[in-house]
Amino acid sequence: MIKKIVLFTLFLFNVQVNAQNQISIQYEYAHNLMKTRQYFDAITEFKRTLFFDIDKQYSYSANYSIGECYKAGAMLDNAIQYFSIAQYNARTDDEKISAQLEIIKTNILRRTTERAHQILNEIEKISSINKDSVNYWRGWAFIFNDEWKEAANSFAKINPNHELKKLAEQVDMDKVSVTFAKVISYILPGSGQIYSGSILPGLISLGWNLLSGYWTVSAFNESRVFDGSVLLGLIWLRFYRGNIQNAGDFAVQKNNEISNKALRYLQHEYKGNRP
Amino acid sequence: MTAQSDWVKWDAKEISYEIHSPTHHDYTIDKSSFGLRILSYARNAYYYFISDVDGDNCPFFPSCSAFFIQSVKESNIFRASLMFTDRFIRDMNLFKNNNRYSLHATKKYIDPINNYLLEEKRIILTTGEFIE
Amino acid sequence: MNNYFSNHFLNSINFYQTKVLAIILFLLPFSTILFSQTMNIDENYFSPKNRLAFGNFLFIQEDYLRAIEEYKNYLMYIDNDTVRFKYAESFYRIGKYNEAADNFKSIFYGSLLSDEAKLAFYKASFFNGSYNSFRDICKMEGYQSEKYAKDINRLFLISHLMDESILPDTNHFLKAFPDSTKNKVRELYMMKKFPSKKNPTTAMLLSMFIPGAGKIYTGEISDGITALLTTGVLAYLAANNFKHEHNFRGWLFAGLAVFSYAGTVYGSYASAQIYNAGVRLNFDNEVKLYFEKRNYLLPKINFLKTND
Repeated sequence: MIKKIVLFTLFLFNVQVNAQNQISIQYEYAHNLMKTRQYFDAITEFKRTLFFDIDKQYSYSANYSIGECYKAGAMLDNAIQYFSIAQYNARTDDEKISAQLEIIKTNILRRTTERAHQILNEIEKISSINKDSVNYWRGWAFIFNDEWKEAANSFAKINPNHELKKLAEQVDMDKVSVTFAKVISYILPGSGQIYSGSILPGLISLGWNLLSGYWTVSAFNESRVFDGSVLLGLIWLRFYRGNIQNAGDFAVQKNNEISNKALRYLQHEYKGNRP
Repeated sequence: MTAQSDWVKWDAKEISYEIHSPTHHDYTIDKSSFGLRILSYARNAYYYFISDVDGDNCPFFPSCSAFFIQSVKESNIFRASLMFTDRFIRDMNLFKNNNRYSLHATKKYIDPINNYLLEEKRIILTTGEFIE
Repeated sequence: MNNYFSNHFLNSINFYQTKVLAIILFLLPFSTILFSQTMNIDENYFSPKNRLAFGNFLFIQEDYLRAIEEYKNYLMYIDNDTVRFKYAESFYRIGKYNEAADNFKSIFYGSLLSDEAKLAFYKASFFNGSYNSFRDICKMEGYQSEKYAKDINRLFLISHLMDESILPDTNHFLKAFPDSTKNKVRELYMMKKFPSKKNPTTAMLLSMFIPGAGKIYTGEISDGITALLTTGVLAYLAANNFKHEHNFRGWLFAGLAVFSYAGTVYGSYASAQIYNAGVRLNFDNEVKLYFEKRNYLLPKINFLKTND
């Protein structure tokens, strides 16, 4: 608030009588609010800029900035809406492409990666486009859809030794196979969990299956058919079925942990361009 | 173009890149009383040794074991046992349907303990599907 | 503004700076006026006139929170009933009914919009959460509007369908509604007066005689049958084990059967309560939907309509 008052005061006292200047000062004022992370107020002032901008000088940049503010406030639907307006008002190809790239990046963050791919495919056809940039964001779109192998392929097209190519490849290699975990659990209960690195739960699962299997078999051996059926239906089958389901769950969980470790790195440590 | 999202002032917010996998069980120990603490340990042991490895059997949210702990907390062990038994019998009903229960985001039937405390004012009814 | 100044600035800035800032802030309103006079008024975006123009634009865009700021700044310099009304209406539209009601109240007296403000005030009070206090306000002297008396009275009557208050007499109630809505309103009134509820005690007693019958009574047929079968099977297993002198198992199953029986009786009572809560929820939704669709049978305010 203090910042706002000071900015506003400075703004008022610096006003030039020139209308041309007036609108650019208003735009600068809005921009300063954005720079100081006061996004809500920045949007108000960008909207004011647009409202008084009779010559439509800022139809592109103010709408683009509103999109950026909404993106910073995690309001991605609104962000895309304003980037689209900016794209519509773009005066040059460069402006149009940068608005489209923002739409792509916001779609990646929103995890509507299919839409991101669709736009990437469209802009790839433009001759002036930087193909590396298309492949770069395509890679990110794959990452956000948890498709690390495809991501690695995209980054490799930029440079076979691309940092993100190596990272995506490593993640893909570290991941376990959910189907394999389930299949081996059919054969030996608990083995799927052990394969995914959850040794104790795997052993517990194996233990329950052995124990309930033993109870069931001995009940039938002693001709206690009712007991045997109850044990089979309510205990053994439950643990056997549960074991397969859990082997899958554990594998998925393990894979999520691997992905998340890489995603955390990308979010907090990676120095390159991020969506 | 509506501006409904701006009807309340908002601040900058970072979007996490991470994948949010739903955690199946809440292992928190309830320290509000000695009995509840013991019960929480028992529930955790049950989660770890049985519930985690016998598959996803409970169709309700909260699960039967969490329902029991919550009922003990809200009433007493005797009433909680009655509530749990009633829940268990409803669990055995093979013809449960969406008319009676709303679906939780985890695709489980929402069945909060509030509806079984015999206080009509506390009953929570949800309509529609996929409530977080 | 001076208040704000003393609260926040004095702690952090020394006295000299404070004085300079005080002068700046004091001059701020004048500077706006000065600018408006020395240059073309349309070029100062923060002049009252431009504030209003921008505010109206935001209002049309349904960007009400931002519109409120613009109207507020405008009203600091120029008093205008229409703007006051829009200011209050903006609060109303973002669901801040308290602020809306307070601001509508400020146009009650000596204004051409007095009647409209009163109507809007009652509307805001209606949605404020407590129908009881809404009805109290309806009875207050000095707030009455002759022009919209019938509409406000209707709102007063509708409020009785929204909570657990005592319903007014049928004829008196229905008289206030136009013929086109009378049938439906009568139906809603009757549903409120004679709700099709299930008695929890009856449900409980039924399940005491036949386990699960109470649940069937409340419409949970499959739950009722499951309860009957479970209790029956457990009781049979107990009896059968006692018969074959498997006493431990006999007692085990007997215990489970007792639990199953008691749980079902308990659950039947709860089931009736849930049924009743469902009836109430459905009724509330139906009433809300019906009147919302018809804007609570209130007239639209003309000068706002042009901007919609």
